[in-house]
Amino acid sequence: MAKKQVDLLQGTLDLLVLKSLALGPLHGLGVSNRIAQITKGTFKVKPGSLFPALHRMEEAGWLQASWGESENNRRAKYYRLTAAGRRQFDAEAQDWQRISLAITTALKAT
Amino acid sequence: MPLIPRLTSLWRNLFHKDRVDQEFSEEIQAYLDILTEAKLRQGLSLQEARRNALLEVGGVEQVEERVREIRMGQFIETAWRDVRLGARTLIHSPIFTAVTVLSLALGIGANTAIFSVVNGLLLRPLSYPESERLVDVWHTPPQQSFPGLDRFSVSPANYLDWKSQTSAFEKIAVYGYAGLSLSTSNDPMPLIGGTVSSDFFSVLRCNAMHGRTFTPDEERPGRDQVVVISHALWQRAFGANPNIIGQTLTLNSRGFTVVGIMPAGFQFPREAELWVPLAWDDKERQTRSIHDYLVIARLKPNVSVQQAQAEMSTISSRLEQQYPKENKGWGAVVIPLREDLVGDNRTALLVLFCAVSFVLLIACANVANLMLARGANRQKEMAVRIALGASRARLVRQLLTESVLLAVTGGLLGLLLAVWGSKMLVRLGTLPDAGNIGIDTWALGFTLLVSFAAGIIIGIMPALQFTRTSVSETLKQGSGRSGGTSLKQHTRKALVVSEVALSLVLLIGAGLMIRSFWNLQHVDPGFDTSNGLTMSVVLTPIRYSEPHQQLAFLDRAMEQIRAVPGVVSVGATTKIPLAGGGSTQPFSIEGRPTGAIAEQPMAQTRYTTSDYFRAIGIPLRQGRFFSEQDRDNSVPVVIISEAMAHRFWPGANPIGKRLTPSFHLEQGAREIVGVVGDVKARGLDSDSSTMMYLPYNQSPLPFMSFVVRTAANPESLIQPVSKAIYSIDKEQALTDVQTMDQVLRASLSGRRFNMTLLLTFAGVALMLAAIGVYGVMNYTVTLRRRELGIRMALGAAKMDVLRLVLGQGLTLTLIGVGAGLISAYALTRLMASLLYGVTATDYLTFVSVSAMLIGVGLAASYVPARRATKVNPTIALRAE
Repeated sequence: MAKKQVDLLQGTLDLLVLKSLALGPLHGLGVSNRIAQITKGTFKVKPGSLFPALHRMEEAGWLQASWGESENNRRAKYYRLTAAGRRQFDAEAQDWQRISLAITTALKAT
Repeated sequence: MPLIPRLTSLWRNLFHKDRVDQEFSEEIQAYLDILTEAKLRQGLSLQEARRNALLEVGGVEQVEERVREIRMGQFIETAWRDVRLGARTLIHSPIFTAVTVLSLALGIGANTAIFSVVNGLLLRPLSYPESERLVDVWHTPPQQSFPGLDRFSVSPANYLDWKSQTSAFEKIAVYGYAGLSLSTSNDPMPLIGGTVSSDFFSVLRCNAMHGRTFTPDEERPGRDQVVVISHALWQRAFGANPNIIGQTLTLNSRGFTVVGIMPAGFQFPREAELWVPLAWDDKERQTRSIHDYLVIARLKPNVSVQQAQAEMSTISSRLEQQYPKENKGWGAVVIPLREDLVGDNRTALLVLFCAVSFVLLIACANVANLMLARGANRQKEMAVRIALGASRARLVRQLLTESVLLAVTGGLLGLLLAVWGSKMLVRLGTLPDAGNIGIDTWALGFTLLVSFAAGIIIGIMPALQFTRTSVSETLKQGSGRSGGTSLKQHTRKALVVSEVALSLVLLIGAGLMIRSFWNLQHVDPGFDTSNGLTMSVVLTPIRYSEPHQQLAFLDRAMEQIRAVPGVVSVGATTKIPLAGGGSTQPFSIEGRPTGAIAEQPMAQTRYTTSDYFRAIGIPLRQGRFFSEQDRDNSVPVVIISEAMAHRFWPGANPIGKRLTPSFHLEQGAREIVGVVGDVKARGLDSDSSTMMYLPYNQSPLPFMSFVVRTAANPESLIQPVSKAIYSIDKEQALTDVQTMDQVLRASLSGRRFNMTLLLTFAGVALMLAAIGVYGVMNYTVTLRRRELGIRMALGAAKMDVLRLVLGQGLTLTLIGVGAGLISAYALTRLMASLLYGVTATDYLTFVSVSAMLIGVGLAASYVPARRATKVNPTIALRAE
């Protein structure tokens, strides 16, 4: 992979997981692939941080997990967003937009 | 955050850790597999693909560990932080904490104690293996002869037919009670024994701890001189000597070989301490009309009680047709053993359980009120935290943790109380299967659950209220004086109203019990219970098989007892009143149509000496008592009770009429020579029974209860009278040695127990409610100081202020009483079967208890009201 990979900012992992699941239920590897895909390979989430995040968010009630069949007929655990998770996603997305706008503006200031 | 998924997830994480772990292993394995597959598709070899996948995951173990930390950690960590914070807060207000913890400890402890009994008797299986399949089988007697009796003991021949014809039971056994006197080097030891068929122990699935139980062979007369003893008796009488097996005991003057010792705790039938085989001879095996035995059976695995009942009904009606003379009208009923054992205790227990949970609810309401009263400070603290960004849910959770912490501390303390309370209940109550009662895991779980529930109940209202406030409002109010607390006041008042209502229900329940008890104590038992002494003896067959031997013993005993200084008179009967039991006999009246035995009327039957009526104090209504001239060779005579005279000779004089008791057909008709007053044979709450008395002299029996009337305190005569009887034959053990007062008290002990408990609970409830009313009124006065000051400045007299505050307290109490009356009206009917001589909605009780509670409410408001009159207008106005 030619592109330079960036370490995830604190707090952005949740946002990315929520975002990738907002499009539909996925299993663990699916989430990791989806994040790579939507960030155009900027972020690659390893299982070591992905799974703790998924389980933490499940405990928080944002995600719901259930077993299902993968595309190649393998049993895999799928995660999907709950109503609370959707609300959380909206709130975090807004926050992020505010922050990034502020930071961008700040950096542009002369 | 949704609470339910949160809790289920916590439950899973804590208690199904393995499954959670395993599920995660599977999850990560699936991740690896899918990743490997993807790499295979990219053209890597299987080995390479797998290696790369593992590298990418970066250590399955570590990932699993981190996930585990996350799952467990979050909840626990927050909870732990809250607990520490809560504990600190509570330690800072030690008096509040002590009061709260103590009142919750009392409430929870009492609940656990009662629960341990409910659990032992109603919820947990009995202490026999697969006890849910154990049933009692009884006769149902013909209703015209035994109105109201729904179960009756069984006769030998009917039992044997049942046994040979049923298929519903895996095993069926028959047993009875026997008074056995064990000869020792000193006075003989009276023991209650079970006479049991050989299958008895296998029906219960209980084996001997040492040795064996009985073999079928030992049911034969002559082979039956073997005995199994209880663990308790083994320890008490034989010093737990293991060599006792094989030794011979002298029971009722006969030698019995000890063959087995039962394990500790085995006690069936109730109070039995040793067991001997039930060996019927041929004549007994054919007896159908003497009902003397109890039947226990174990249902086959897939047979229901209803199925067994249906089969027994079929068999019974077949036997009715086959033996109409003895069996007409006799049915059979199958009752689960637990139901039979628990019997009347069920209602009483449920009422007590209700009562005790009311007490806890009241205690909770009081504590909640206390917490609300601490509100002002907490509210500010909460407002600050909300302002700093804490979410409301987070604060509610923290406050709930604090109240749960309080309640659980109270619960732990309560547990100590319950251990003691449970023992007390077993000691004081007349409870069956008492060995099954105690603080077990279930009771522990119950305590924990109740503590948590109590914690939530006391915490939820304050928590919601403290966090509901508008931040700026609260922070603006500099001093603790708050204008925006009307909502909180409403909550506090609602709590007090419910306290009053709950305690009224309890008080009315207790009031009804007291009235029932009072009514019972004023029931005339029909004889004189003062200065009386009684003791019983069952003569051993080996020395007293002949009637003349039995009579000789009785005569000698009368003589010896009469000679004891302090004895006024002495008599003997087969069964004293109030004690329950005693035999019932069919009879026919001369000159009236005589049907088969099964169709004849029945009367309770007692055999007495001539002095019995004088000794016990049963009054003569007509005719005469027995005399020494009523003997074997004179005219057979009988004395009947007033109730019997009224029932069978209404408006006529029964003296001189003749009747034939059917167990004494050979003696022919007996002349009625006297009518005596009615006695309560089965207890003060029973009806006056139709009763006939036959003279011992004409129909001797080998068992008798002496009744001794004494000049002074009867207890002082127990020793000399016992000695006098032992001087005749020291192998005949005396049993049931009691004063008549004790007999009377014992007959009421169950009711006294229930009444005392309910009264205690009601008393505690009343006290708590009074504290509640006082607390809320006191607080109201504090809040209204300024207003009261203005009123007084404008010319209101002290009396007006007093009236104002009292009026408010009265309103609260009245609303509570109103709600309580409605609930009591609905609830007390559940306890109808515990009452005597008073209806469940007795208006006198309802009115007087309400009046008392209103009085207490007023008294509790009086102190705050007095304080209100002392408000100094100038100071109150300036205080702002």
